Amino acid sequence: MKYFLGLLLSFPLSLMLVGLLAAALPAPWQDWLVLQLIAVVVLWMVLGLLVAIPARAWPLLVGMLVANLLVWLALQFTPLYGVGA
Amino acid sequence: MKGERLRRMIDLHAWVGMVSGLALFVAFFAGAINVFHHELHHWQEPHYDTAAVSPMGMDALLEQVTGQYPDARERLYLLPGEDPGVMWYESSEGDWITAHATDFNAEGVHDARPRSALADFINELHFALGIPNPGWPINIGMTFMGFIALLYGVALFSGLLIHWPKIRKEFFALKHEGNMRRYWKNLHNVIGIISFPFHLIMSVTGAAMGMFTVAAVLLGVLVFGPQLRGVITEETEVWPAVDSQGETVIMPLMEDVLSAARNAVPDLRVDWLEIRGYGDAAGWIDVAGSVPDHVGHHAHVVLDPTLGTLRVIAPGQRSVNFASLSPVYSLHFGDYGGLLVKMLYVALGLLGSLLFVSGNILWCERRSDRVGPGRSSAFLLRLTLGVCYGVVIGIAFSFLASKVLPHTPFAGWVALAERGIFALLLVLLVAWSLRASPLRFSSLMLRVAPFCYLALPVLQTILEGGHAWLEPDNRLVNLLLLALAGSLWVVRWQFRKRVRQAEPHPLWVGKVTEGHPKHLTETERESGAVTTR
Repeated sequence: MKYFLGLLLSFPLSLMLVGLLAAALPAPWQDWLVLQLIAVVVLWMVLGLLVAIPARAWPLLVGMLVANLLVWLALQFTPLYGVGA
Repeated sequence: MKGERLRRMIDLHAWVGMVSGLALFVAFFAGAINVFHHELHHWQEPHYDTAAVSPMGMDALLEQVTGQYPDARERLYLLPGEDPGVMWYESSEGDWITAHATDFNAEGVHDARPRSALADFINELHFALGIPNPGWPINIGMTFMGFIALLYGVALFSGLLIHWPKIRKEFFALKHEGNMRRYWKNLHNVIGIISFPFHLIMSVTGAAMGMFTVAAVLLGVLVFGPQLRGVITEETEVWPAVDSQGETVIMPLMEDVLSAARNAVPDLRVDWLEIRGYGDAAGWIDVAGSVPDHVGHHAHVVLDPTLGTLRVIAPGQRSVNFASLSPVYSLHFGDYGGLLVKMLYVALGLLGSLLFVSGNILWCERRSDRVGPGRSSAFLLRLTLGVCYGVVIGIAFSFLASKVLPHTPFAGWVALAERGIFALLLVLLVAWSLRASPLRFSSLMLRVAPFCYLALPVLQTILEGGHAWLEPDNRLVNLLLLALAGSLWVVRWQFRKRVRQAEPHPLWVGKVTEGHPKHLTETERESGAVTTR
């Protein structure tokens, strides 16, 4: 169950982290969409491993949930949403 | 890595391996055959020993199809060759239709012959477990396999972390020291380590292709907003949809189209053509093919009906998106390096199948050792054996149906029979495996399976004579089938060797008791942590 939840929370996190990277890099995000997709997949796999590292999984799962919210908030302040564009 | 953490990593590796193992076995076994997908299309065509009728050419075929089926004028695919084919979406039938030049009689009437769909079935088994797509916006089977590929990636990374500290010690360490389980465990590790780059490619490209729709939707929702939808179409389509003004045009000869494409890309090897807006002045033709000696070998030359070049997408002349999409496909399908690379992919695919079976078996035996006798490990072992033998033997019988039925009065049922006999055998063998002793069931299946594959080239030779070996694509598929028979025979030989040399694990004979000896893995002994769950 904890592994499944870890994978579930890792997916939006990896998508949004790659979105943040796309916003931070000077290249237009449209030009490297396929590479972003590959990065999302690899990041998702690596984040999925994190659940096995701590002795207790719940703090990490809560941390992932919080990280999802923080990254989503950070995305709202990027040029992708018109800020600083 | 500390002992406790190592144990948790092993648990994660086992969990994702167990969840994805059976689906991956199907994908890898069907995928090993699907490496020769193009050749299989030729193999499945029945060869009758009658006077050859020369079919109509590409242009006459296009005229016939677009004249009889207005939907084909909007969008169609043309497959050049001795018997050219056309594929289009027929709205009245709600499905894609394929017609070959030989399907039209002397009067030009489309008289569709029942055709085998074996190559497409094997392909569907590979990427979607054969789960049909009823035309939904999301392909359930493909997305499911994308998620399975993701789990497979997690299993790979966790496996690497587990084995990294002793990778040199374990490399080629195919020893058993009296314990045959050690031998199978080491075989699992060695296959995993040696073919790690191949598996990494398969998991990343498989997950990227399978999860594409879901990832694109969520990227739109969470990151880029609605602007993403138009961008994906713009960045991955070779040319925008036809904006017809109602002006008609006489279509150029297809030979001229191919010449114009080769002028634009001299090394182009044409695979197929996509024609949008046939006979419309605003229409276009995409000549798609390969440029040899490139990993990302895919190329497109888009032409207008007057043969003016609209766009060239080829190695060195394409956007970053096309340049990164092409290797995703070619690395996954192994079609970038000729026959040698394809053979390597077949071998690694079959070894991958062995990796997943051995992983499942090891997990069942290990769980039985750790927590004592239980229904779950016995059930999972039997299910694993039933699914694996069901898939292997089921596919062989699909091949058999594909070759035999066209020569019988039931030729019209061939495509349905290929799928039906596979499903029937899979269900029957799984049901049987759940009832039978795993050891006896395996012995019997391993005795039968090599002969199933050996019988196929023999059968084709009997039915079609020298055509089975003289035609290059037939020869290649028949050699592949013989290689499969040989591989299954090697597995049988190893299985019998194991049975002779060591007492089978109690799970295999259905005699798991509280007192049976515990076999700890090396990693468990080193971590010193054996707990009961």
